Amino acid sequence: MTRYAGVLALALVAGAGALPAQTLRDFSTARQLHGETRLTAHVTYGAGTLHLAPAASGDLYRMRLSYDADRYIPLGAFDASSGTVRLGVKGTGGSGLRVVSTSHMEQSATIGFSPDVALALDVELGAAESTLELGGLHLSELHLTTGGSRTTVRFSRPNPGRCDQALVSTGAADITVLNFGNSRCRRARFEGGVGRVLLDLSGAWPADASLDLRMAVGALTLRLPRSAGVRVTVSGFLSSFPAAGWTRRGSVYTSPGYAAAARHLNITLATAMGGVTIEWVE
Amino acid sequence: MRAHNRLLLAAGCLIGLPRVATATDLAGSAHVAVRDLWAIIHQMRGDQGDPRPVQTPAAHPQAIAPAPAGGPSIDLSDLSQPTAIEAQLTPISRMPEGRVRLTVPGGQARMGDYSVGSDQTVTGHLLVLRGNADIYGRVQGNLVAMDGNVTVHPGAVIAGDVLAIHGTVRDQGGEIGGESRTLAAAPAPAATESPLVLTLRRIAGFVGVLVTLGVLGLGLVAFGRHNLIIVSDTVSHSFGRAFITGLLGQILLLPTFGMLVVGLVLSVAGILLLPFAIVAYVLLAVVAVVGGYLAVAHALGETVTRRRLAQGSLVASPNSYRYLVTGLGATLALWAAWAVFGWVPVAGDIIRGAAILVTWLLGTAGFGAALLSRAGLRESFAGRMIPPEALTDEYLWATPQFGVPAIRRPGPTRSPIGGP
Repeated sequence: MTRYAGVLALALVAGAGALPAQTLRDFSTARQLHGETRLTAHVTYGAGTLHLAPAASGDLYRMRLSYDADRYIPLGAFDASSGTVRLGVKGTGGSGLRVVSTSHMEQSATIGFSPDVALALDVELGAAESTLELGGLHLSELHLTTGGSRTTVRFSRPNPGRCDQALVSTGAADITVLNFGNSRCRRARFEGGVGRVLLDLSGAWPADASLDLRMAVGALTLRLPRSAGVRVTVSGFLSSFPAAGWTRRGSVYTSPGYAAAARHLNITLATAMGGVTIEWVE
Repeated sequence: MRAHNRLLLAAGCLIGLPRVATATDLAGSAHVAVRDLWAIIHQMRGDQGDPRPVQTPAAHPQAIAPAPAGGPSIDLSDLSQPTAIEAQLTPISRMPEGRVRLTVPGGQARMGDYSVGSDQTVTGHLLVLRGNADIYGRVQGNLVAMDGNVTVHPGAVIAGDVLAIHGTVRDQGGEIGGESRTLAAAPAPAATESPLVLTLRRIAGFVGVLVTLGVLGLGLVAFGRHNLIIVSDTVSHSFGRAFITGLLGQILLLPTFGMLVVGLVLSVAGILLLPFAIVAYVLLAVVAVVGGYLAVAHALGETVTRRRLAQGSLVASPNSYRYLVTGLGATLALWAAWAVFGWVPVAGDIIRGAAILVTWLLGTAGFGAALLSRAGLRESFAGRMIPPEALTDEYLWATPQFGVPAIRRPGPTRSPIGGP
């Protein structure tokens, strides 16, 4: 009888279907530069690692993607009439982004945009680990939304054009923005949820700029250039501002030498709960 | 083969094949089973197999005739959904060369390698199946290659988009008016694992663990029987207390370790002992857990053997070796069930959860018993009410159900009414 039980078990095992496994597939999309002057790019990326940087000359944009074919569909569509491209991945299960396990983080994407066109960039990140090297890009507008991600935004080189505005909105995320002065954005707004935000405002500011910083719960580190005159208007609840070295008038703090500085940064800082740390850089 | 044998085999096959068991299905299952067995053999030999995705071989260059009305058709005017186009083209690309009929609205289809010369112009869309597309001239629509590469040579012009499914787009200086996309082939079937391979692998793992624990246990019996028996008796006689102690021990394991490290660091001379202390502590913890688990297996095996003896079964050599082997088999039975049936949805997870729970319970009790008995040096909780030298093995032998018949005492025969 033991033998028959063995035959039965073997038949059960042999008759069952194969077990599903994560399937990573490679996808790439690119478009040559054909005299375009403007590009609006929407990047949606749910899970994995993302690297965004200027593309090689001759490309309007280029994306190389390794994606989870069981759960995502690659995005790569260009609308020539509006000069808009959609890149990244979207979930197969409908709207929204879903991360079930850490194995989904194995997805990776490298996206490049031409530095020769005015770029309005809209990036939406889910549970991703991202590095956005925006230095050298002709950025006209930036809109970055992150979920539970770790993001580094770097402006290593000055923007060759002028950026109208930057809006960065983070959820439960860590975000580091370096050399933001090189973005040459006239206006900027940072909305932090829960997490850690490091905002480095050094770089080549072309003119005076105003920044609106709003933090809910978390730690905000502001890295300020000594050469710039900084004025911070603080409003907060259960939060503190390190006032040492600043000239205070009501809720307005002014850095030493504000009046004589060539460039002025006017910052509105609203925090709910959390700490603010100031670091001065040359 | 006798009739009931055939019946059982047929039942097995029917259960194994949930669909209607046709001859094709049976042959398919046999093919899958043979393929899986070969995969296992290759894995054991360390062969990596062919990492390249399964692709259709290149075909002889030829034009594909349009399909009759109602036949297969593919629209190449929108290439923004390459996976959808792949799904449509895959069955067509796998068909025998001569049988392919396909309509491309506003374009043409080719089979095998295809080249557009520098003085040629292709009007409309171009589809190339199972071959490479080399473009030197002009393509006035979109270009799709399936199971092949697209090479855009210098001077070539493609007005629309380019898509290479299971291939690449090589731009060597030509002009592509639209987007160029590549969609690589799905990974080879090695990415998925059949239940047979999975089950055999798990069984191999289970046997490995069983043999390892068995060897450790037999060594423990051979060289530390006294300690093992005391820990085992502690589990038997004070299970609840041993479990609570094991639970507390698990909770306090890390804090104690931290205190040990801090204490050694604070005492200057103790810093030198720190590496040895860390290694010794970890080793002791592992020995306590593994030894405790083996002691639980010993206790379980002893209980089972006693019960069998009490029921009158004839058990050869009821000693610690037998107790340990029997106990290990009993404690790991759930893992054996998981190894065999772990692939079954839901039930497999339930068995695995139960196995983890039971293993943790027994491991905790064994760890606690090892702590309570100071690794078998203290008999306070082992139920030793009388000294060991007073113990006999008479309890191992069952009293016959109808009593013990009286026998004559050897010696001179005595008469009840008087001696000789």
